[in-house]
Amino acid sequence: MINVIDYVDGATFLHRLNPVSKLALATGIIVATFLAQSFPALIGLLALTLALGAYAGVLGRLASLLRVLAPLALLMLVLQSVFVQGGAPLFAFFTTEGVASGARASLRLLGVALPLVLALMVTRPNDLANACVEVLHVPYHYAFAFTTVLRFVPVFSQEMDAIMEAQTARGVAFDTKNPLKKMRLMLPLCIPLLLSSVAKTDASALAAEQRGFYLRGRDSAYKRYPMRGADMAACVAAAALVCAGALL
Amino acid sequence: MDPIITLDHVSFFYQHAKEPALRDVTLAIEPGAFVGVIGPSGAGKSTLAAALSGAIPHHHRGALYGAVHVAGHDTCEITLTDIARTVGSVGQDIDAQMVASVVEDELLFGLENFGVSREQIEARVDEALATTGIRELRARQIATLSGGQKQKVAIAAILALRPRVLVLDEPTSALDPGSARLVFDTLRAINRDHGVTIVVVEQMVALLSEYCSRVVVMDDGSIALDGAPREVFAHARALRRIGVDCPRVTRVYNSLVERGLARESRPCLNVDEAVRLVESIVSAGSEQRAVPVAAPHGPACKPMAGGTACSRPDPAGAAGGSAPATLRIEGASFAYPQGGSSVRDLDLEVRAGEIVGVVGQNGAGKTTLTKLVNGLLKPNGGRVLVAGLDTRSTPVSHIARHAATLFQNPDRQICQETVRDEIAFGLELHGTPAEQARVRAEEAARRFGLDPDRAPFALSRGQRQLVALASVVALDPKLVILDEPTSGLDYRECMTVMRAVREMARRGSAVLMVCHDMEVVSDFADRLVVMAGGRIIGAGTTREVFSNAPLMDAASIAPPQVCALAGELAARVSPRFAPITEVSDIVATCKELIHHD
Repeated sequence: MINVIDYVDGATFLHRLNPVSKLALATGIIVATFLAQSFPALIGLLALTLALGAYAGVLGRLASLLRVLAPLALLMLVLQSVFVQGGAPLFAFFTTEGVASGARASLRLLGVALPLVLALMVTRPNDLANACVEVLHVPYHYAFAFTTVLRFVPVFSQEMDAIMEAQTARGVAFDTKNPLKKMRLMLPLCIPLLLSSVAKTDASALAAEQRGFYLRGRDSAYKRYPMRGADMAACVAAAALVCAGALL
Repeated sequence: MDPIITLDHVSFFYQHAKEPALRDVTLAIEPGAFVGVIGPSGAGKSTLAAALSGAIPHHHRGALYGAVHVAGHDTCEITLTDIARTVGSVGQDIDAQMVASVVEDELLFGLENFGVSREQIEARVDEALATTGIRELRARQIATLSGGQKQKVAIAAILALRPRVLVLDEPTSALDPGSARLVFDTLRAINRDHGVTIVVVEQMVALLSEYCSRVVVMDDGSIALDGAPREVFAHARALRRIGVDCPRVTRVYNSLVERGLARESRPCLNVDEAVRLVESIVSAGSEQRAVPVAAPHGPACKPMAGGTACSRPDPAGAAGGSAPATLRIEGASFAYPQGGSSVRDLDLEVRAGEIVGVVGQNGAGKTTLTKLVNGLLKPNGGRVLVAGLDTRSTPVSHIARHAATLFQNPDRQICQETVRDEIAFGLELHGTPAEQARVRAEEAARRFGLDPDRAPFALSRGQRQLVALASVVALDPKLVILDEPTSGLDYRECMTVMRAVREMARRGSAVLMVCHDMEVVSDFADRLVVMAGGRIIGAGTTREVFSNAPLMDAASIAPPQVCALAGELAARVSPRFAPITEVSDIVATCKELIHHD
């Protein structure tokens, strides 16, 4: 079972950066994407994300995420075009300003979603949590909650798949083509999923406490996460991206 | 030596519960012991484990009476974290207790938290990995490991903390027999070489009898029996009343003693001891007469004490084609796009009234096979025909009218608010009118002693499995697919489930059963299919397959104790033992050899 946000092993420059600088870079790209207004800037930022992904060897995973996001981006484009009216009419209810605004919105959607996912793909969740605790002084409880959520996403999605399979084998028509009907059939399955997730969370909390969770301090992590020259450079690059985004 | 953990008249009521989960339990765990805890479901085994590890009173809410001392401290007076310095615990749900995505990080977590000095950490990690035999997994992602490997990682992560006691709650329930033995081998090494006291809750009596120095039998919240395995398993009658199985070789001993064929001495715990016992009584009994080597003949067919009748003689003889094949698999292959246990060139027929068992290690492709049969997967090559319908051209919901699946985990199946609705739901899905479905649902619920108005999620694990089974039985399907139907069930529940399955077969259902428990397979399957590496590497009657040593080796399966015993006895005492798969037949053959030669 492959999960989009799973860590992909590697030894590239991106992999070796301090997790905090990776977060800074991703944040830089995201903020710049929000600020940028021009199409070249938006497309450039998206291209930068994809280029970094290609360099780190996770382009395939990013592409599969793009395929999932594409329909959403398209929907965004259409809705925005309908709601924002202005400029010269194109056809039907589409206007030049509406389409431009819609295109920006959908580019932003992609530009915001991908950098964070990329950062997670090249960082082990534990490293991310430990580095945030050490460098950013984030309380460990929050960092642990975050890594636990990341860890549970695939566990729950597997559980949901197994529940769907069991129900399909019973004769529930999940193979229906009608998405609304499928949604209605899925609703009662939330109960078993909810029950199993409550039990899992409880077991998880107990296991963590039995392994000294409450003793953990900021210096507990065995590995150290120093900010090196390259990390400083990455942070500067992130700041530069934000400035560029604001100007372009 | 002072006991490391003591329970002094301990009772525990879970919050809102009227009945106690533990009743006045007094127990002392000696340092260095290897203690196995067994009992029917609901007997309080997990609650006992929680009391030993401090989860009671610190995590589970409820009322605790009496006192639990860990290394001299009352567990109510020290924190759970402090208890954890002495008692390490491994829970039932392995996925839930992992905190990291990589094996090494999983081991580091506890070491970091307890402030083990940096100089020591590397040595501790390495030692824990070496002891559990998983050094090569150090850099692996946990999500890519098998169930057995994950279990060892969980044990290693606790072991690295150097606890004095290790408490494990059903560590092998999700594992195949081979992996289960490896986990117990690991526990034995930890116990023997590192002096760690082990307390393990376990359902497999064969493992307990072989590895433990002491067995505690729980019944209804109390300790019913407590002693060395040899002492405990000698109480066959008491164990049967409680609902706990005996190792089959111990049953052979007990039956021989009951019939006066053997003198009461030391109960047998393994195959070698049983071979020696039978050898000695047969040679003593026939000393006056030379034993003529009789031609092997079929075993006498008597229902045995447990109620298990002997398997029907060679239903594979039906291969001539008397009954129509309900399931026909012709050269089917399947490969997962992202990789996984693919299967190749499967050929298999299951006829009405027949129970066919599928055995093999984890990853051999057994689950893939069941998914090909119920249509969840469509073959890449070849054909799968269920009641004449090609699964590739028939929607899964349509196949489901003919083929019902009982899954390993009933909680994935159950989604309604009452037992009645749950059973009726399946019937209604297949077009039974609502009124009629409710009537049939109530009938089915009553048959299994279930209250139709109860909420399924409030029932015990074993009863939930019965609800899932009742929904399958109510459908009266042509084909029944069982995926580990007995895992997580106690002996009595297991027998209830399997007798219902056999009843369905009698009424004309074809049954395909994937099962790790070789005793269950041996008791109930007519024919066996052996899988390894995604292929069917052998098939035949249960007896043929279990006595085929090269085939068993190729599939990494240990035959059930009775078959292993029969094989040994056939070689060393009389070939008459060769075809035997049942305890009662071993005893009957011994009797014949002693008295009628």
